Amino acid sequence: MSRVQLISVAKRYGDTVAVRDFTADIADGEFVTLLGPSGCGKTTTLRMVAGLVDPSSGYILFDDQVMNRVPTNKRNIGLAFQSHALFPHMSVAKNIAFGLTMKRRPKAEIRNKVEEMLDLIEMTGYGDRMPAQLSGGQQQRVALARMLATDPRVLLFDEPLSALDRNLRDTLKYSILELQRRTKKTAIYVTHDQSEAFAISDRIFVMNQGRVEQAGSQLDIYLRPATEFVANFVGDNNAISGVIESIASLPDGQRTARVKAGTFELQGYAPDTLDVGDEVLAFVRPENIEVVGQNTQQQADGLVSGMVEQIVFEGPTVRLNVDCDGVLLNVSASGVERLTLLDKGEKRVTLRFRDVSLVKQ
Amino acid sequence: MSGSRPIDLPAGVTIPEGAGGSSSWKTVRTVLQHAYIWIWLVIFVIPFLATLVYSFESPKGGYSLEAYDFVKGAFLENLVYSLELTLMAIIGNLLISIPAAYAIVRHNVPGKRLILSTLNVSLYAPAAVMGLSLLITYAYLLDFMPLTHSTWGLLAAYVVGTFPLMLLPIIVALRDMPMVYQEAAHTLGASRAQSLFRIELPLLGPGIGAGILMTFVIVFNEFLVTLFIAGPENQTAALRVYGLTRTAGFSQSTAAAAATMQLVSFVVVLVFFKLVGSRYLKGTYFA
Ligand SMILES: Nc1ncnc2c1ncn2[C@@H]1O[C@H](COP(=O)(O)OP(=O)(O)OP(=O)(O)O)[C@@H](O)[C@H]1O
Ligand SMILES: [Mg+2]
Repeated sequence: MSRVQLISVAKRYGDTVAVRDFTADIADGEFVTLLGPSGCGKTTTLRMVAGLVDPSSGYILFDDQVMNRVPTNKRNIGLAFQSHALFPHMSVAKNIAFGLTMKRRPKAEIRNKVEEMLDLIEMTGYGDRMPAQLSGGQQQRVALARMLATDPRVLLFDEPLSALDRNLRDTLKYSILELQRRTKKTAIYVTHDQSEAFAISDRIFVMNQGRVEQAGSQLDIYLRPATEFVANFVGDNNAISGVIESIASLPDGQRTARVKAGTFELQGYAPDTLDVGDEVLAFVRPENIEVVGQNTQQQADGLVSGMVEQIVFEGPTVRLNVDCDGVLLNVSASGVERLTLLDKGEKRVTLRFRDVSLVKQ
Repeated sequence: MSGSRPIDLPAGVTIPEGAGGSSSWKTVRTVLQHAYIWIWLVIFVIPFLATLVYSFESPKGGYSLEAYDFVKGAFLENLVYSLELTLMAIIGNLLISIPAAYAIVRHNVPGKRLILSTLNVSLYAPAAVMGLSLLITYAYLLDFMPLTHSTWGLLAAYVVGTFPLMLLPIIVALRDMPMVYQEAAHTLGASRAQSLFRIELPLLGPGIGAGILMTFVIVFNEFLVTLFIAGPENQTAALRVYGLTRTAGFSQSTAAAAATMQLVSFVVVLVFFKLVGSRYLKGTYFA
């Protein structure tokens, strides 16, 4: 139940800059994700919000109050660690009760809260177990219960699911989202797993080398990457370099540009920063390249043809490597028609691009 | 195991003879292994058993508990004094070692390595050298505080001589303890002190326990350094036993006093492992 602001927050360790000039305004009840590769400063940012790391400069605000000098135990936050960090010498119930015990709440209240939390994580009756006697998923759920029991104003998550196997990750990430939605608490979630970020966030901050590369909704990040890094990091994008030939404004305010890339042309969204003559990278996702014909020579506007070099059957999709006059494209075909691509023999395919995004080179 | 049925192996499957040979040879080997351990145990306790048996021998022939009247009487005072000294030394060691371990492990103390290796000096210095050095030091300090021939002087000697035994296991335990428990405690609203007493010290339990045990064993039985520093008022149990062998000779009461000292050590160690050992060594992340 708090608005969280970061104002030009930075953290330096000697010569290393872990986080630089991080500014964000996170609304009350919003679920934001910090997404980025290893070492980009996600954990450091989160720990500064938690008060476990002192910022080198900048301000951290909860509800318009500067938190910089407020110690962790007075910030009323909940932090989920990568390793669940349950106290190994305390039972599940004692772990969940810990925060309330520290606040010297009455015994009866604590007991009720522990029961309520155990019900919430669907582990009623597990109170007397020791953490070592639980499975990894149960441990992480108890850690969530422990963190929610104190009714914190901000929920912080540092890759809480990365130690778990895939199925468990999938179920638990929705449990986390549901808990957050139900409690309407502001949440900051750190992950390097984009599918996790896309599944649960209201807003994603993509970070690289201590810097925020782009902040926006899932669709913004996925379809309109602002930088080359974001385009490459999110999904395995095809990158085609070319030059803008012309730009047209659409009725909805968006701009589209025609880009000449080698022997073919394509159209893509152009942010305001681009002009005619700019050298750009055009990014197209494998699933946004459609196979419109096989072994035909269609020459129409917006169509490109190429030779299939490799076909991999992946079940729901068929992955193709297509050579279009020297440009290698990664194509992911789905739908029943994909099965016709599996026929043996040399193949020439005609492709159509959708949702091409342009980034200045 | 109710409901379990013998499993039928497919035809043609054979079970090879174990590489360890037949099962009767295995039994022999197990017995030999156990016997080996027990023989050593017996060799270790023979001197103690001899003293114990001797203490029960009555000068008039036969066996009696007569000698233990002395233990219950005059020697009790020495025993209690030794236990008091040991307890104080343990407290002193804890008060020094816990903050010192935190300083060394968690903060960048300049000259950390030098400090750590110097600490061990008192562990490998011969007791006689130690005793003499302390006497000389106490002589220098005489004008400020009279330490020679005093309980405080003995205590200071024990603490100086044994606190590395407390410090080292705590350092090891602290190094092994992830920061994350402390951090989790703080995010849950625990103050520095609450985290220390509720989370960190219990998790350091095995290290602290090892330190307490070693301090106890050394200080309770300490003799040589005590000999240098103790005055007539500071008769520890070990000193008294030594004194008895010189005045009363190898009488039954001397043996009874010695056996009792041994027994106290033995019981304390046993109780320690029973209580503290099981509580701390199990439920923690060391398990
Ligand atoms: N205590 C520290 N001392 C020195 N450098 C540090 C410290 N903590 C972090 N760093 C550096 O700061 C940078 C960012 O680290 P951080 O842990 O925030 O990365 P991350 O994005 O969480 O990575 P990962 O996904 O691997 O957890 C790294 O280059 C790291 O080496
Ligand atoms: Mg991290």
